[in-house]
Amino acid sequence: MWIEIIDVIISGLINGSVYALMAVGLTLIYGVSKAFNFAYGSFYSMGGYIAFLMFGAAFLNNYLIVFCLAVPVLLLLGFVVEKLLVAPLRKRDDWEIKVMMITLGLALFLDNAYQVVFGARMKALPTILEGAFEAGEFILSYQDVVIFILSIGGILAFRWFLNNTRTGMSVRAVAQNPMGAQIVGIPKEFVFAATFAISTVMVGMGGILLAQKYFVTPTGGWDILVKAWVITAFGGMGSIQGGLYAAFIVGMLEAFVGWHFGMNWTLMALFVVLLATLAIRPQGLMGKWG
Amino acid sequence: MVRVEKLNAYYGDFHVLKDVSLNVGEGEIVVMMGPNGHGKSTLLKAFCGLVERLEGQIFFQDREITGLGAEKLVNQGITYIAENRELFPEMSVLENLKLGAYSKSARAHERDNLDWVFDLFPRLYDRKAQPAATMSGGEARMLAIARGLMSNAKFLAIDEPSLGLQPNLRDEVARIIKEINAQGMTVLVVEQNIPQITELASRIYVLEEGRISFEGSREAALGNDHLKEIFLGM
Repeated sequence: MWIEIIDVIISGLINGSVYALMAVGLTLIYGVSKAFNFAYGSFYSMGGYIAFLMFGAAFLNNYLIVFCLAVPVLLLLGFVVEKLLVAPLRKRDDWEIKVMMITLGLALFLDNAYQVVFGARMKALPTILEGAFEAGEFILSYQDVVIFILSIGGILAFRWFLNNTRTGMSVRAVAQNPMGAQIVGIPKEFVFAATFAISTVMVGMGGILLAQKYFVTPTGGWDILVKAWVITAFGGMGSIQGGLYAAFIVGMLEAFVGWHFGMNWTLMALFVVLLATLAIRPQGLMGKWG
Repeated sequence: MVRVEKLNAYYGDFHVLKDVSLNVGEGEIVVMMGPNGHGKSTLLKAFCGLVERLEGQIFFQDREITGLGAEKLVNQGITYIAENRELFPEMSVLENLKLGAYSKSARAHERDNLDWVFDLFPRLYDRKAQPAATMSGGEARMLAIARGLMSNAKFLAIDEPSLGLQPNLRDEVARIIKEINAQGMTVLVVEQNIPQITELASRIYVLEEGRISFEGSREAALGNDHLKEIFLGM
């Protein structure tokens, strides 16, 4: 019984850490540019498929190489998507809605493209690190440890970037005061595209990490989009700290509900908790709408 | 140094500036006056690339700069100091100042300029770790000016520095404008509540209903009955 509960907590922590990485990316785009990216989940699958493709090629089948190549590819992908699809809409009326529609279109396009190219069947990725730590009945797989470390490492690296680099400071500046940012000469358009690109890397890396446990499928990103959205709203739109807390709460909640009631109930439980939270605190945990 | 020819500006369909022409010579302090809502801020913003719809021409050091984005203009040495400050609320005073030196041309001088503005505003040095949002109105105003000075500008467009300022800080603002001008910066300032600043002005422009209605020396402005009527209610 106790071992089971510890297993559930660990599972919640591991998933929570990856959710945190991905939710921070989503809340970042919203916080900086007030845009909502519906293709976020499809970028999650993109990460998985990039890794899958690379493991198919004999000379690239190593996670270190996969990460080294996937990061620039995802960065470029996010940048190009922002410049081609999102940026041209920003000057129009009601651009927020138009951005939602066009990224929704992109999501449908990508998901169908995955199906055409890779087929509808699940693709598996190799385990990042074999083996496990065992102490009596308690088993902790090294894979889980590595996933946790990489996710938290990703978040810390991002935090470092925001606080200690010039580009990171300009991202925070645009989020806090777009007009002020323009006045000091920060190229706002570039910052929008850069944050979109960084968030694409975050969710794509999440895709690579979680695909080891949950496979890659053409439509697997929707579940992630919904969860990242719930976490973002739950934590407070645009609040990175709120997103972090919310991600771990959601990870834990999911693990416990899944263990006690079955995995089918987890999404419903998430929405119940979200609605209850928003009824009491409409601005989310850490609050920062609009 | 800065020259504007037949400038027209619009917010949507609203015609804000109508055929405005003016010039500011190198090393001058020029004061812009006029009733609120008649386009003074828009004119300053137009210099700095912050107005979307413009017609006419703006020249800076004899090169046309009309239509260039704010990031290019800041880099060339044109800086706008906003009336509503436009600070980064969750960042510290120091971070706000460092972002003031964001442009390429200011980066190399960041250290020197930081020393200089801390010299000018000792109070900001005492509060450098404090978030901008927690500062009083007067301190935030000082920070906005200091942040503008970090940009290594040649031309400063300062929008109503007295707004929200206690009367005893007005002398301070006038002293600082005099000081930065002595350092070689050309200043165009929108201000009518600080006589000390008007005294520094080499020329005065008055903007009414989007048009320049007066240009001349301070003495000529004081001798103009129409202007007295507007500003002194006489």
